Amino acid sequence: MNALEHTLEQKLADVAVGKAVPDELPAAPLAARTAWWQQYRRGWLSLISLLAVLGGWWGLSHSGMVPPLFLPAPEAVLAKLITVSTQGFMDATLWQHLAASLQRIVLALLAAVLLGIPLGVLMGVSPVARGLLDPLIEAYRPVPPLAYLPLIVIWFGIGELSKVLLIFLAVLAPVIIATSHGVAQVSRNRLRAAQTLGASRSQLLWFVILPEALPEILTGIRIGLGTGWSTLVAAELVAATRGLGFMVQSAAQFLVTDVVILGIAVIAVIAFALELGLRLLQRRLAPWHGQLD
Amino acid sequence: MAILSANKVSVRYPGQDRPALSEVSLDIGPDDLTVALGPSGCGKTTLLNLFAGFVQPDGGEVRFGDDRVTGPGADRAVVFQHDALLPWLSVRDNVAFGLRLQGVAKAERLARAEEVLRLVDLPEAGNRYSWQLSGGQRQRVGIARALASHSQVLLMDEPFGALDAFTREQMQELLLKVWQQARRRIFLITHDIEEALFLATELVLMSPGPGRIVETLRLGFSQRYRAGESARAIKSDPAFIALREQLLATLFDHRRQAEEIAA
Repeated sequence: MNALEHTLEQKLADVAVGKAVPDELPAAPLAARTAWWQQYRRGWLSLISLLAVLGGWWGLSHSGMVPPLFLPAPEAVLAKLITVSTQGFMDATLWQHLAASLQRIVLALLAAVLLGIPLGVLMGVSPVARGLLDPLIEAYRPVPPLAYLPLIVIWFGIGELSKVLLIFLAVLAPVIIATSHGVAQVSRNRLRAAQTLGASRSQLLWFVILPEALPEILTGIRIGLGTGWSTLVAAELVAATRGLGFMVQSAAQFLVTDVVILGIAVIAVIAFALELGLRLLQRRLAPWHGQLD
Repeated sequence: MAILSANKVSVRYPGQDRPALSEVSLDIGPDDLTVALGPSGCGKTTLLNLFAGFVQPDGGEVRFGDDRVTGPGADRAVVFQHDALLPWLSVRDNVAFGLRLQGVAKAERLARAEEVLRLVDLPEAGNRYSWQLSGGQRQRVGIARALASHSQVLLMDEPFGALDAFTREQMQELLLKVWQQARRRIFLITHDIEEALFLATELVLMSPGPGRIVETLRLGFSQRYRAGESARAIKSDPAFIALREQLLATLFDHRRQAEEIAA
């Protein structure tokens, strides 16, 4: 999906550049001038849009039209980053809030992977398992986590378990769905070839099915992590004393807007870093993805 | 050596009114290169799948020596038209894959893989990956993988059907070389008449509706190639061309009959 979008976008961009630009300027100096631009075009464009947002933010906050309570200046948020990371906010430093949130995410992710991959494989290979599990997953997946959070609190209390469980449920569905899809799509010829080379059922699973489904599984984990982060704030609404979501929530209650913005920015940066890391992992582990005959 | 044989096998797929195969009998002896030729729907793929053990007959039986074939096994290797190499393994590991499944030690199976890769003229490709190879190279790796394990039969499912004409000719010659050196019986299916005539020691002509064998011919063109004659000389030989036209006419005849029966 992502690779497809990328190539389509790339193709459209190539067409746009190749058609429009040479008509207006002579070819040779254009080539020299745009080589550095062409090579990192996407990076430059991303940088431009980020700088534009920052510039707009800076301009607006210094114009006097918006009080700092609604929009603190960028440098005020930056200063807050230093005080929150050294002195802390709500009895914990930024790093302790971050560690608490990361711990919940990592625990939930681990549990979702350990349970989701076997269940997904089972659904991919067995029509019976698919028939039994599919309605359950499809029934809970579209429900917003905030809707079943109260039930989880009633059942499991307000401790750490409920928070991890909520994130876990958000990550689990995409992992199961992607895994079962990847497993069901394994090439019949590859399975048959392995069988004629003497593969047993468990060898088929470990040497053919799982490696072939790996790119899809990683995509499922990527999507799951995305939904997991968006559930984090909801999970930390309940009797948390630490965590990025808790930090943002309590800062909002005391109208400390610069901490709110800081927390949101940190969540965004971490989520983006995880996404990039997983994409890199996907490219390292499955370089053949999208290149099959 | 044992004979791989189909005895009056019939196969009917659910939801189809005519059987895919009707009472087909065929023996594949130890030194044969048997080619099944026919248009799509003639049951040649079903016949190959029966020999491989992917499909079970509704009537009759498939035997390999004294044993009844009830499923796929390492004694009958299959070369597919495409999509059968493992893209996460290097070419060398792909070729050694069957030996790995059977628990052969690493040094031994990699040495065997190199040996077989030389046999299919790919001595340098061991470290590469299937998605970095051309279609012809991929098929060579597929053949090498089938040869590396200790199978007694090579079942080839339109192995050159997706290749361009030049590569296809090269691969046909390579196959005859490999067949001679590896001393492995081969059952190959194709819808390419020239390919069938050039390769086969035994040619089985099949026809659809229901799928059946309509003619069996023993041929000597591949022996002439092995004796040193060039492939082009054989394929432009008047005897070769005459036989090609005769087979075509036979196939068209059967098709017309099948259409008349259907109408």
